[in-house]
Amino acid sequence: MKINPVYRQESRVSARSFRLPLIILSCNSLLALVALLDMYSMVTQVKATAEIQYSSFLSLYIFGAAIEFAMLLLIVPALTAGSISGERERQTLNLLLTTRMTPADIVLGKLMSCLSTVFLLVVSSFPILALVFVYGGVTGKDIVLLLISFGSTALLAGSMGICCSSVFKRTTIATAVSYCALAVLVLGTLALRRFTASFQVQESGGAGQGTTWMLLVNPAVSFLAAIKGQLSNVRRITVLEMWTGNAPAGLLARWWLGISTAVQTALSALCLWIAVRRVNPRRRRLWRG
Amino acid sequence: MVTINGLKKMYGRAAALDGLDMHVREGALYGFVGPNGAGKTTTIKILTGLLLPDEGKVEIQGEDALADPAGMVDKIGYVPDFFGVYDNLKVSEYMELFASCYGLTGLTARKRSMELLGQVGLDEKTDYYVDGLSRGMKQRLCLARALIHDPLILIMDEPTSGLDPRTRYEFKEILKDLREQEKTVVISSHLLSELSEICTDIGIVEQGRMVLEGTMNHILNQINVQSPLRISVYQGRDQALNILRSHPYVETVTIRHNDIMLNFTGDREDEAALLQQLMDAGVRLCGFMRERGNLESVFIQITSHEEEGRVLIHEN
Repeated sequence: MKINPVYRQESRVSARSFRLPLIILSCNSLLALVALLDMYSMVTQVKATAEIQYSSFLSLYIFGAAIEFAMLLLIVPALTAGSISGERERQTLNLLLTTRMTPADIVLGKLMSCLSTVFLLVVSSFPILALVFVYGGVTGKDIVLLLISFGSTALLAGSMGICCSSVFKRTTIATAVSYCALAVLVLGTLALRRFTASFQVQESGGAGQGTTWMLLVNPAVSFLAAIKGQLSNVRRITVLEMWTGNAPAGLLARWWLGISTAVQTALSALCLWIAVRRVNPRRRRLWRG
Repeated sequence: MVTINGLKKMYGRAAALDGLDMHVREGALYGFVGPNGAGKTTTIKILTGLLLPDEGKVEIQGEDALADPAGMVDKIGYVPDFFGVYDNLKVSEYMELFASCYGLTGLTARKRSMELLGQVGLDEKTDYYVDGLSRGMKQRLCLARALIHDPLILIMDEPTSGLDPRTRYEFKEILKDLREQEKTVVISSHLLSELSEICTDIGIVEQGRMVLEGTMNHILNQINVQSPLRISVYQGRDQALNILRSHPYVETVTIRHNDIMLNFTGDREDEAALLQQLMDAGVRLCGFMRERGNLESVFIQITSHEEEGRVLIHEN
């Protein structure tokens, strides 16, 4: 099987560098610390009340998954924002482009390298999340749904990072813009949804649903939808739901995770298309101005 | 081998190439020279598929290179004016990376890498990190990298800039080896003395146009005609200057110490007639000869933009 040369080179370099073990160590240490503290508080509670609340173990799962999700949002742009701009800074991009490698090969090689790191991170953290299996309540299907959410989030954040890296020549600027774009996607859409909903409430006197569709691009809402489907009786989800507003009714609500994953994958494809175009030195302008 | 016709490229309103024509023979070591901003790098980028021209045709081995850029990558090896190396890779890994970019893998790639590293004198550095190599070694590694897929044409953009004389000499020897292997090499450089030593053909580009192109012998013959005429006057300098100023073939007159330097456009017969005219006027001469020309002098002559007409310049 022919392996993408850029992916192979990136994997070799990242396996050799200190960065990958450091990322895995720090992420898993944080997760383990949170899990241990959560278990400690549960044990203390049991000692005080002599009553075991099994829902507490599920909250450990949610908390762990939420922390892992947040870490994905923080780590992926850092991994990808320097991918193309770094090649430009090292002046190796033109060398790759004069070989048989196409711009798409280069961009996909970079993305695959980032997704491999994310995969390694998620797999290595599974033993901590698997603590909840000891007490039950989470099925294999739930884990698959969580993985889909993580996968689409990593794909979207990675594609946005690569897109910024191809648009901006300097890595520092590309990194800053990647984080800003992701913040707009996660926090901006939530804020806009609440803002427009509050107007609609004033006008109609009821709950506003008109702009809920814009949350389909928000990976945080997709993650909440994945978790909510599994643990709808957990109080923390209801608290988080206050940010998103009431769940949209009808078909959209029933298939939220599937639809949002499809929308985010389409958005990722758009970002990758822009990146491929920007990397291609022989591109023709779409329009002349 | 390579034919370029009417190549035009604009950057905004500035024309980088303004109808450039270029012809590189098969097996030639073609020196591509011109002042900064003349359009050398733009031409090289178009040849290597890194840039699209606005107008013009590029043919490599009779095939339209602009219509089929993917088909050209196997034919061209490119050495840019920067190193372009991954510091965190070993020399052998760097070579294997680019081998795999051309579809060479496994033993074939390793064998080819070792062969080329031996050719550029880096066979003992295969396990070194690229970061630890000297500037000259990095440049030689770049050359080996550009040859990994055994291209027909090697295009080099200022490959010896910033290298010390010893490394430049070594690089020149490698180029001579390539010439013996009958590879077609296009090399852009400012080091004209070096180019004139190794190149078989020369093209001088100025303001996006080819102003002089041909074999080295052809160019050097032209240089001899265009070199300044040095006249050493023993007695009667003012009289000589009066004759020279009014002479139809004299473009510029420069007085350098006791000698008069002329830009004289006439041929050898006109030179003889001028000498006779000066002697008939009673000017006593102790020297009358063409300066020995070189590539540098023709480059300066072509790329300098002196005002036309007869001028008298005193250089003391």
